[in-house]
Amino acid sequence: MTRPTSLLALTRRGLSHASSPRAALSLAPRTHLRQPKPQSQIHTTTTTTTTNPRQNNLTITSRTTPSRPNRLSPSTRTYHSDHHPTQPHDYTNSQTTILSAALHHVPTHGFSRNALTLGARDAGFLDVSVQLLPRGEFDLILFWLASRRGLLRSKVESDGLFSAGPVLSVDDKIQILLMERLRMNAEVKDQWQDALAVMSLGENIPLSLSELHALADDILNLAGDKSVDASWYSKRMAVAAVYAASDFVMTRDTSAGLRETEEFVARRWADARAVGDKLTGVRECLGFMGSTAVGLGRSWGLKI
Amino acid sequence: MSSRSLWRSLQTQTRRRLAMPETPYRCFSCTRQAQAQPPKPTADEERFTHFGFQNVPESQKESMVKTVFSSVASSYDVMNDMMSLGIHRLWKDHFVRSLNPGSALPSRDHDTAGRGWNILDIAGGTGDIAFRMLDHATNINHDAATRVTIADINPDMLAEGKKRSIQTPYYNTNRLAFLEGNAQSMPSIPSNSVDLYTVVFGIRNFTDKQAALNEAFRVLKPGGVFACMEFSKVDNALFNAVYKQWSFSAIPLIGQLVAGDRESYQYLVESIEQFPSQEEFRGMIQKAGFLIPGRGFENLTGGIAAIHKGIKPLN
Repeated sequence: MTRPTSLLALTRRGLSHASSPRAALSLAPRTHLRQPKPQSQIHTTTTTTTTNPRQNNLTITSRTTPSRPNRLSPSTRTYHSDHHPTQPHDYTNSQTTILSAALHHVPTHGFSRNALTLGARDAGFLDVSVQLLPRGEFDLILFWLASRRGLLRSKVESDGLFSAGPVLSVDDKIQILLMERLRMNAEVKDQWQDALAVMSLGENIPLSLSELHALADDILNLAGDKSVDASWYSKRMAVAAVYAASDFVMTRDTSAGLRETEEFVARRWADARAVGDKLTGVRECLGFMGSTAVGLGRSWGLKI
Repeated sequence: MSSRSLWRSLQTQTRRRLAMPETPYRCFSCTRQAQAQPPKPTADEERFTHFGFQNVPESQKESMVKTVFSSVASSYDVMNDMMSLGIHRLWKDHFVRSLNPGSALPSRDHDTAGRGWNILDIAGGTGDIAFRMLDHATNINHDAATRVTIADINPDMLAEGKKRSIQTPYYNTNRLAFLEGNAQSMPSIPSNSVDLYTVVFGIRNFTDKQAALNEAFRVLKPGGVFACMEFSKVDNALFNAVYKQWSFSAIPLIGQLVAGDRESYQYLVESIEQFPSQEEFRGMIQKAGFLIPGRGFENLTGGIAAIHKGIKPLN
């Protein structure tokens, strides 16, 4: 029993030494064993690992060190945990420096390469260093979305949003959060239509949608929604749809304090609720008719 | 009686067989012996490197590559067009467009970097990439201060580039310079002086690629970019079969018919085959100290070529 585990440990250790990041990051132990390893290494290290039971711990810590940007990260999680909040974005330090500096130039230059270049200059980089961001201006937009989402979360967690006033229902909280998020976009209102256009380009749609889902997910979680049935999907769809529609309204809203957008959000959310109620009604009605039909069939002697 | 004699003869036979010397002694305990590393070559023995599929001493590779490119210099463009069906022009345009050379924004008062980029184009003898970058900087970004130094190890390729530069507006200006030198050590170029280092379809011919990467790291300014376009590995098995068929049978034939030089183009396809895969080469760039943006490489035409990028970190 000890032998296979020690072998596993040493193959892991062998891989953590490998410079190839893909090899270092793959987690499933079976793929490790399948990797061809030089025989000599196995022979030489078997003795040491069997005598050293702490080897396994060491290998695990060494595997978590590489700071690899996006999509290769093994820690992608599809659910929320209150104890281990997910990072709002996964850019490297240099990327974050350039992007945060570039955000200061967005009100004047828009979500453009020029803003990125100026950000890079401010951060002490060269013009050419914007190559760090392979998606160019879309990276800037994604960073804006992700960082504002993080800001929304921190606002709620520091109790700045819901502390005043009476106890709020989940629906009220959702509306407040939607408005709060829309107000954050107001400072780049004049540039936001361009950003929406970039987000709707074919190659950018998947990432834009996943960011929209992340926002809807965050809003529902922060509002305290704990549904675990099919309404999990419908609620997220509803929040995402209302947010996306209101985003467009916001860019054309000239009223003081975004009053028109606020009314729009209230109306749309009421609509969404109404549709939800109707669907529930239809489902109940169908369920009742179905059970009546079954009962009728049984009373006629059918073996249902 | 007969059975006894038969028995005896059998016995002697078996005994004889046992007595036979068993030269290739096979048993499991011997696999370790068989797999034991061969004795390491001593220091005074010469190190070998790839030249296509052949192994040649490191000292000779440089001159052999030189011969190849001297012989193809004059027909370089025609051959590239025929071998890649003109696609190499699209790749090069895409490469330059994605790098976006030239500062579009005017320099502000507190900006430390001077106006214009200092670009070093390694193995760019014929000026293919250099002229494209200068055109992009001038016409797209309206930046007339960006300058390119074309470096090549081969004087024949450089002569071809100089000949072509006469047709461009950059001829005899300070925006274009030529330099004959080995990319593995360029003492004439000071450290931390280059904004953008490009090497397009050149690095696979280098004797020591890691040394060239280290040298690139040295000459680049902090924040400077290393960009490389090179033939790479095709990721689709079906497409790979077609591509291999084309490169190993058609390309040497075209070389023979058009340039009258089969061996040089045989070397070309073999050197492509020997070049490391996208992931391995990314590892080499990282090893030199560069930051890797995103995935680190971009495949072109299914991975026939790939663009690799690395950024020198700020201290």
